[in-house]
Amino acid sequence: MADVSLKHIYKVYSNGTKAVNDFNMEIEDKEFIVFVGPSGCGKSTTLRMIAGLEDISAGELKIGDTIVNDMEPKDRDIAMVFQNYALYPHMTVYENIAFGLRLRKLPKDEIHSRVIEAAEILGITDYLGKKPKEMSGGQRQRVALGRAIVREPKVMLLDEPLSNLDAKLRTQMRAEIAKLHKKLGTTFIYVTHDQVEAMTMGTRIVVMKNGYVQQIDTPKNLYNYPANKFVAGFIGTPQMSFFEGTLKKDGEYVIIKFDCSDADIKVPYSLLYKAKPSSLDGKTKVYIGFRAEDVSLAESNSENNLAVINAVVSHREELGNETLIYAYLCGFQEEAGSSRIIIKDNCGKEINSGDIIKVALDIGKAHLFDKETENSVLPRVPEYNYLDCQIKDGKLIFHGTAFEIPSAIKCANTNGELLLPSNAVTFGGKIKAEIVSCEEINGINLFSLAVNGGRLFALSHEKIERNTVNIGIDFKKITVIADGENVIAPINEVNSFNCTFVKRKTKRRIEQNGKVKNKKTIEFGFLTEDVFFSASDDAVQKIFSALGVKKAYVSTLKMECGIHDTVVSDTGIPAKVESVLEYGEDKFLKCKIGDNTVYVKTDREYDGDIFIAPDMDKIGVVEKEREIKII
Amino acid sequence: MNLEYLKMSPLEKFWFNFKGFFKRLPAAFSAFFKAIPKKLYKLWLAFSGIFINIGKAAKDGDWKTRLSFGAMGFGLIARKQYLRGIFYLVFEICFVLYMVFFGWKYLSKMGSLGETARVEVWDEGLGIFTYKYYDNSLLILLYSLLTLFIMAGFVFVWYHNVKGSYLIQQFEEAKLKLPDVKDELRSYANENYHKSLLSIPLLGLVVFTILPIFFMVFIAFTNFDKVHYPPKELFQWVGMDNFVNVLGGGISANSKVFAYTFAEVLLWTIVWALFATFTNYILGMIVAILINKKGVRGKKVFRTILVMTIAVPQFVSLMFMSQLLSDQGLLNNILLNLGWISKPIPFLTNGTAAKITVIVVNMWIGIPYSMLICTGILMNIPEDLYESARMDGASPVRAYMKITLPYMLHITTPYLITQFIGNLNNFNVIFLLTGGNPSSLDMQFAGKTDLLITWLYKLTVSESQFGLASVIGIFTFVIVAVLSLVLYNHSKSVKNEEDFM
Amino acid sequence: MNNRKFRSKKGKERITNIIIYTVLVLISLVWLIPFLILIIQSFSGGSGMASNSIFPKRWTFDNYIKLFTETKFLTWYGNTMLVSVVVTIVQTIIVLMTSYALSRLRFKMRKPLMNLMLILGMFPGFLSMTAVYFVLKEINLTQNLFGLILVYSASSAMQYYICKGFFDTIPRSLDEAARIDGASRHTVFMKIILPLAKPIIIYTILTAFIAPWGEYMFSSFIMLGDPEKYTVAVGMKSWLDNSVLASEYFTVFCAAAVVVSIPITALFIWLQRYYVEGVTGGSVKG
Repeated sequence: MADVSLKHIYKVYSNGTKAVNDFNMEIEDKEFIVFVGPSGCGKSTTLRMIAGLEDISAGELKIGDTIVNDMEPKDRDIAMVFQNYALYPHMTVYENIAFGLRLRKLPKDEIHSRVIEAAEILGITDYLGKKPKEMSGGQRQRVALGRAIVREPKVMLLDEPLSNLDAKLRTQMRAEIAKLHKKLGTTFIYVTHDQVEAMTMGTRIVVMKNGYVQQIDTPKNLYNYPANKFVAGFIGTPQMSFFEGTLKKDGEYVIIKFDCSDADIKVPYSLLYKAKPSSLDGKTKVYIGFRAEDVSLAESNSENNLAVINAVVSHREELGNETLIYAYLCGFQEEAGSSRIIIKDNCGKEINSGDIIKVALDIGKAHLFDKETENSVLPRVPEYNYLDCQIKDGKLIFHGTAFEIPSAIKCANTNGELLLPSNAVTFGGKIKAEIVSCEEINGINLFSLAVNGGRLFALSHEKIERNTVNIGIDFKKITVIADGENVIAPINEVNSFNCTFVKRKTKRRIEQNGKVKNKKTIEFGFLTEDVFFSASDDAVQKIFSALGVKKAYVSTLKMECGIHDTVVSDTGIPAKVESVLEYGEDKFLKCKIGDNTVYVKTDREYDGDIFIAPDMDKIGVVEKEREIKII
Repeated sequence: MNLEYLKMSPLEKFWFNFKGFFKRLPAAFSAFFKAIPKKLYKLWLAFSGIFINIGKAAKDGDWKTRLSFGAMGFGLIARKQYLRGIFYLVFEICFVLYMVFFGWKYLSKMGSLGETARVEVWDEGLGIFTYKYYDNSLLILLYSLLTLFIMAGFVFVWYHNVKGSYLIQQFEEAKLKLPDVKDELRSYANENYHKSLLSIPLLGLVVFTILPIFFMVFIAFTNFDKVHYPPKELFQWVGMDNFVNVLGGGISANSKVFAYTFAEVLLWTIVWALFATFTNYILGMIVAILINKKGVRGKKVFRTILVMTIAVPQFVSLMFMSQLLSDQGLLNNILLNLGWISKPIPFLTNGTAAKITVIVVNMWIGIPYSMLICTGILMNIPEDLYESARMDGASPVRAYMKITLPYMLHITTPYLITQFIGNLNNFNVIFLLTGGNPSSLDMQFAGKTDLLITWLYKLTVSESQFGLASVIGIFTFVIVAVLSLVLYNHSKSVKNEEDFM
Repeated sequence: MNNRKFRSKKGKERITNIIIYTVLVLISLVWLIPFLILIIQSFSGGSGMASNSIFPKRWTFDNYIKLFTETKFLTWYGNTMLVSVVVTIVQTIIVLMTSYALSRLRFKMRKPLMNLMLILGMFPGFLSMTAVYFVLKEINLTQNLFGLILVYSASSAMQYYICKGFFDTIPRSLDEAARIDGASRHTVFMKIILPLAKPIIIYTILTAFIAPWGEYMFSSFIMLGDPEKYTVAVGMKSWLDNSVLASEYFTVFCAAAVVVSIPITALFIWLQRYYVEGVTGGSVKG
């Protein structure tokens, strides 16, 4: 009955291996969260950190409103179910369930009634007198669940609870756990390596790999919009088939070329309008993935969006109501990995190994991934707008609309490509735009705007109900490329300073009861370039909890501060002003500290030497050696 | 290499590992010695870390922390860490009292080990000379050593007091919650539970094992023997004399004999340990295999008969055997009576015969034990190994050589090593059976079947040659320690490798 | 053809089995006969040792009567029993505590401590004996049973190995489940680990109890010169130390041996299962 919040959670072992990297998640009350991934991906470690069985190397873990980083497991108000049940073999089922309550010194009668109640919920009343040894796996798992629910915890943690059961029992228990979740209304966090379990049970799923979170989303979104090739391949059975190929934009169409097939397939651009133009150049290699249900045996070539290619049948799996046909694209049997295709067929046509079949691919449902980064080229939230643009007389023109270039940017007239980040489109400018569509994706609203007929993506945290808006452009973030060179480059929006955490003793005069006293106080802060910045209490606490009181002083840190939050002040880090940049209403100083370039927000113009200071309430701190985000 | 290994069948793999163990043994020896500097360096790092910590506490500590340098526990008490604080304070007071009233008296004499042992004084009342005793070298050495130990303990506690005070100061500065007495008490059932559990066992270990070992090491550098026996006489530091004597470099004629004795005894000890270990092991295994063979009935009966013999206290069986086999013993009498022999067989009185006898009797004592262990492991050898061997057409003997033996050796290496070490120091079998006899004129205080440990016993108990005995003891330790550390590390590395593969 | 082969295989197996049974019976005899002789001799009327046949000419209980009336055997027996019981209690507790700490708790000195104990175990125990002897002498604990108890149980921690091996096999998730249930580490030890460690506790008790009955080296040294304080091993050895006494006391020795062996053997056979579990488990873990 509580939210769980994980912020910048890390698990780093003493030998330097990172089991969990920068895990961030807000789990809401009553959610059923599933951590899924191959073994060694850090899912169990994360769960055990939540349970308090492993130390948290860095980050902040909250259950409800309390930070529980340094709390003993028993004080966290959680319960856990283990993979091997972990029932106490020398106790009866009753004693097993009552153990935790007895340790909490509850009155005997209450223990009894709660044990009985839990046993009734799980249907194990008949076994209460038995020892775990005398029970089957399924019954033992029920007891383990009973031991957890009897404590009425805020959060239930389940660590692969079903993997020791046989397939049939697993399906049954799956449903029972889901039912239990509904009945108890407790937050569940469930770890499994089985994606079917994840898909069927979770309200949200966290896919992990090698200690990194790959994607956090609802089962449906995970299935439909995998963020990268790993998630695409991991979620869904049978596995997605991947082919290598290239995409080339040709007017209103995109030509898909498979490496393993001669067939060129034309699809309308409107299906791929979210794709990065850089991957549509006909050269960048991409993976084209299809789910088995989006592949069928071709009847005719007439249908739209269906591409037909030839394949050789390798073997088939009969599943009763449907058949899975494993085939290889013609002429590529040897390279099994990249030309295998799985087809879900339910028309029951007689097909044998070696047959050559025509396969129809539903291009509209293709999943495209960059070969190098393996990230989707069709992200749900497009990062950039890619546009052709023209710079003329201090104006940036695209879609036939002119935006005034602020004086900070000096640029000759030219034609080029514009990389306009979706979040650089600001609401409340001078240009009128029409809202074509709006979808909410993980708390962010993605707007598709029409400006003078041209499409534009914009992001906003707020919902906008109107049909038209005024937009502007944040020129700090844009890139313009002309003749292969950056004509306009974005500026670093975050200043970073190397620093160490220090303790300083200061004498302060304090007037108390009319007497003036010299009082020694201790201040904590960051020392960068020999300048001391006093840290906020919150920051001090986080540093100490992440690094401990001893290590805090000897670690090298990096302080990060947004350019909006860095200001000119009377004291601070000495810097030399190089130029003044004006972006509309905002003014920034471009300064040098040694070789380090920083930007400072300012109201007036300075030149020569100034002192700058970051806003200590808004800084981020990273430990450099292990690359851990502390704040 | 990896692929080659994977190519092998299960039995080939075992054979491969088995051979590898011996092939890599020399390398393990050299690796062991090569690792020593690195370990020393690590030790140095840890050591310098201590000084860095003290320096930090001195520089950065506030007055409460700094006061803890002198008045232990002050910083903790001042910050309400009463439990530890008071412990430190009491400890310091006890230490000072101990040093002033007891420790210093002895420690100051450690260099000379005393000046006057006793003085003859005329007792007027009795009308005779009586002795007035003064310095007792033994007690001086013992108590000064104890004092050194306590001082080391004090330094250790003092360091923790400084570190603890500083840490608590830092906690306070960081505005973290300081544990109260209740938390502290609770921590001794939780994160500090090891301290609660281990303090008493370790105290016993330090007082009754480590301190005595140090004492004996020191004794090795003195002339403590029959002549210099406190409280009548003092003994003195003699430097390396005892070591030189044992190794045959001494001036006296005895030294040569002693060195010869040492060499003889050492050789026999190693031969004995090897034979005793492996005869028991292999024969025990064979008996186990016979008993556990499929289709043999009465497994339980046979096993119980053998196990029963373990239960009879060893000294009973050994002493009985020594009587049974003596020259006038029952066995000889019966054989004489039957007319099979004309004079008693010198089971225990002829050097070579006695050596064979002890090994055989040791088999009689030890085989049931190793049979028991082998039975346990044999049950765990996966049946499919034998099946695969049968498929490959291996005969039972071949299967034994290529599966059972390597498997057992592989899995019981730690057991074998402990057995080997145990046999090097096997006091009971030798002492109760032959008492180290038959004695020999060529050897000093040692008989033909004496092991280092029984020789040590004789040197101490009957000959009071404490100095020499200590030297022997140190040598024994060095030999045993090097051998077993190398073997342990080696067998561990082999295991890890296999896990890795 | 097939049939014949089958039969010959069976025949061969029968021959092998016959050989095996013969060997096993022989082995059993070799191991049993000395003990039988021991028992028979204890009923022998002659002075025994010099006799020349296994079976005595006269069967008698005299040896037993002499044992209990004329010798100090009963005192020794009592001494040994007292020492055994106390040592068993102390050693079992210490071993369990040490093993649990080394198996379940993680602290900085854990590995160094285990290495230290390994190295200490290689010192000839007797080497430290002299020092202990002088310490005990100084506090008047030589020729004293309490001194012997102290010596036996002081370094019990070093016996942790087998017990720790057993603890290591208890799944860690039990500890974790208990900790989540609200148990402190102490509670985990008392309520989870100890009840599950019954076999190894019995093994520890058994070995600790038996050891003083057969130990000669330490006890002979500490009790040197005071027959009142001997343990059975030291006392019985003193009968056989010179040949004059030996011929007189041999049959009494046999009787004493029987009396000593019976309870231990009985105990041992009763608890055999745990003993076997302990030794086989402990010897395999590296």
